[in-house]
Amino acid sequence: MSKNVALAFMLNGRRRDLETPANRILADFLREEAGLLGCKIGCDQAACGACTVLIDGVPSAACTTFLFEVDETEVTTIEGLTPADGSLHPIQQAFLVAGGFQCGFCTPGMVLSAKALLDRVPTPDEATIRDWLASNICRCTGYAMIIDAIKLAAHTYPTRGAR
Amino acid sequence: MMDRHVGEALRSETVLALDGPAKVTGTARYTFDLAFPGMLHAKILRSPHAHARIRRIDTARAEALPGVVCVVTGADAARLPDPTYGVFIRDQPVLAIDKVRHVGDSVAAVAAIDEATAFRALALIEVEYEVLPALMDPEDALAVGAPLLFETPSPGIAVPVGAGSTSAKEPRPNVLCEYRYRRGDVDAALAAAAHVFTDTFRFSRINHFLLEPYVNVARIEGGKVELWSCNQDPFIVRNDIARIFGLAPHRVRVHTTFVGGGFGGKSYCKMEPLAVLLAMRARAPVRLCLSMDEGLLTLTKHAAVLRLTTGVAADGTLLARRSAIRLDGGAYADASTVTAVKVAYRISGAYRWQALDSHAEVVRTTTVPAGSFRGFGGTQASYASESQIDMIARRLGIDPYDFRKRNLLALGEAYAPGDSAMDSDLAAGLDEVATRLGYRGRRSGQGRGMGMAIGLKDAGGTGNHGQALVKIIDSGDVIVCAGTVEIGQGTTTALCRVAAETIGVPLARVAYAAIDTDATPLNNGTHVSDGIAVTGLAVARAAADARAQVLAFAAEQLGCPAGELAFDDGAVLQGNYRHPLRALVARHYGNAGFEFIGKGAVKVAFDKEAPLNSRNFFWLPSWAGAEVEVDLETGRIHVHRLVVGGDAGRVINPLACRGQVEGGGVQAYGQALFEELRYAGEDPENAAPLAYRVPLATDLPDVLDSFVAEHAAGPGPFKAKGLGEGGMLAVAAAIANAVEDATGARVAQIPLTPERVLEALARAADERTSPSLGCAPGPQSPP
Repeated sequence: MSKNVALAFMLNGRRRDLETPANRILADFLREEAGLLGCKIGCDQAACGACTVLIDGVPSAACTTFLFEVDETEVTTIEGLTPADGSLHPIQQAFLVAGGFQCGFCTPGMVLSAKALLDRVPTPDEATIRDWLASNICRCTGYAMIIDAIKLAAHTYPTRGAR
Repeated sequence: MMDRHVGEALRSETVLALDGPAKVTGTARYTFDLAFPGMLHAKILRSPHAHARIRRIDTARAEALPGVVCVVTGADAARLPDPTYGVFIRDQPVLAIDKVRHVGDSVAAVAAIDEATAFRALALIEVEYEVLPALMDPEDALAVGAPLLFETPSPGIAVPVGAGSTSAKEPRPNVLCEYRYRRGDVDAALAAAAHVFTDTFRFSRINHFLLEPYVNVARIEGGKVELWSCNQDPFIVRNDIARIFGLAPHRVRVHTTFVGGGFGGKSYCKMEPLAVLLAMRARAPVRLCLSMDEGLLTLTKHAAVLRLTTGVAADGTLLARRSAIRLDGGAYADASTVTAVKVAYRISGAYRWQALDSHAEVVRTTTVPAGSFRGFGGTQASYASESQIDMIARRLGIDPYDFRKRNLLALGEAYAPGDSAMDSDLAAGLDEVATRLGYRGRRSGQGRGMGMAIGLKDAGGTGNHGQALVKIIDSGDVIVCAGTVEIGQGTTTALCRVAAETIGVPLARVAYAAIDTDATPLNNGTHVSDGIAVTGLAVARAAADARAQVLAFAAEQLGCPAGELAFDDGAVLQGNYRHPLRALVARHYGNAGFEFIGKGAVKVAFDKEAPLNSRNFFWLPSWAGAEVEVDLETGRIHVHRLVVGGDAGRVINPLACRGQVEGGGVQAYGQALFEELRYAGEDPENAAPLAYRVPLATDLPDVLDSFVAEHAAGPGPFKAKGLGEGGMLAVAAAIANAVEDATGARVAQIPLTPERVLEALARAADERTSPSLGCAPGPQSPP
């Protein structure tokens, strides 16, 4: 077995202190230990983006990130984006209203990539949106309705200062 | 108060996906997410050889590995009561018995306490192979003296067909099946034609690239098999499991949750029986989840070669077509039998003919099995047919738009003798594309051009049927129970809306029940775009039945004729009085409540006079147009605008309709330009997620423009019909046609890679300097 390492990080706003085998994968930890099943594993090789989570706000493939790598970081999963009162985050609402999903398997990763984008570029143009989405494969929609959802979210998501 | 019936207006309501909140919050649960206490994990040992006899398998070292619970091989499969599966022809064993037939074929499987242990155990299984010659394409397989992929006939039958059609099972060595459709005298018609053109088209092999991997969890309790499956066809799977294991169907229970992408890739039996076999042997729940790499080795769309000979009258009227279509079926039948029927029957496209002779055969090769993929047969047929139609128009100096308009089937005109009438206005869709493209008055040549295409397929299944239950709870809320699986296509929301509209409640008061073959009414599966028309009609009938029961009950309670009552949003209306249903129910049944359970069913009749043995339930057209720029130095195609359209008959779920048209369109766009599962020798060389290229957001055309027409002639509730497969049909031909419009060069093979474009440009340049008589292609302006 792999040697254990100690680490501490923020997961969806709550501090986690733990010891973990050095070869523990972030996606496996999220799904199997933290119960955060919104992190989907599609290709398991950082090709499809379904497992995208935010590490210090940067979209990252949880399937190819060791758990120890998130030491001292803030990790946000789709569950961390969803307001506690059961309502939808403005980006989630925009995906719902614009129909920016079909089977839904890529959707958590898409929504998180969209958040990372809008946090950096509050009103992105079409080309910028396409560039950012190139890290996430959607096999269902043909992307146009996802792009529409992000444009809609750019109008409804509070600007950076207000977040 | 008005009664609401099938065919009436829909209430104005914003329709958002009922499963949307779960999906955007990541709380939607897929088979992938399922876990049980004590659940084991399974992995499959796959063949490194394209074709080999299995001489010996030694599993002793694998079985001895701590954490391994069981190992199964072909010997275990061979002992099953009926160990093979497939559509009409059942040639695929649960695990390879005696032989492997493609790189990636399943040889053995391990169930262990975790995936890592299962992987380690696979490495300890020793297999001795006697390597046999590979049959990498139909030419190899049909060569004189080629080894047989199957030495004995496979169980099953030829696909039953109707008037004008013949169908055969395993007619020749290494040929799985063939289908032929004939009408009129093709020889005479071609002999009398002013022009006859023969062209050959090559269609590529692609994979579904499903984001949720193939995954099944099997559990055996008290002699009952329980299976949680990502399969699109819960009842087909239940019946296959029952047959393979010799169980009564009520001893098999299949649960289906959300499915993370289907497109046909998860239809029909796949590795579900293997999951069950492992669970039986392990005496524990087993999760068999394939990697995406393994998904690429599981199923493809059929590669095909289509040779079309088409005769045209001097005035540009299409007369006759002879088609010879060869599908590469891969190693096992899967759904190839029906694909052969569909590709040949659909090859005549959206046009009127005097005579047809359409032949398709499926050749067995040592490659990944081919099967269902969004419009199967239809995509190959539409690509080849619409390419040739365009080429013929240009050769005759007629604008392809005018040539199509001259020959299109009219609304209400029968597709073929004995078959149903066209229920979409094909010309209207073509005009819509032309308008959106700005096709009229376009300038073509010098690397810029436009092309259009019309795809057409029969849809809704052959002699299909479906059942549904709709329950009205005394609260006025509604539950729809049906077998259509939510694979992202949005049909479950549409079915709920059909119930809502029929009963008279807002959509928010309707839920779609979880699918469980013990409780859910049967349907034939989630394919052939049949959700809204077939199952939808069953739901509409069930909803009307439930509503009638409510009114009959209320009439009895209120002592008045049911005809004086209406049901609206949970209350029974009697003149100006509103009686909450709950109060009426409580008066009679007490506080535990009651459910009014309506039943509905649909059966499309078989009909021997129809070529496919059933008059087609509805026609599924697909219109596409492309504006391209071709770099004449590099051969690279840039698509400025892609227009894709479908006909929903009546739109029930607007966002889903648009999403289906665009999603299918972009899948076809990727296949047209770059996507392909390629073989290098015996190995699928790019069968890995990083190597297999699907469209990304950055690959999109500058403008993706879609439309959903409502021609209001579908057979479903509110005149709706399905359109899910359609987006895929016409796009590849439209782009290839635009490339010819832009360059005068025809690339008769997809994907339209830069290398192929350059070759075609060079060929076209040669032909211009030494024109062959009568059919030199080139950019044409309308006469």
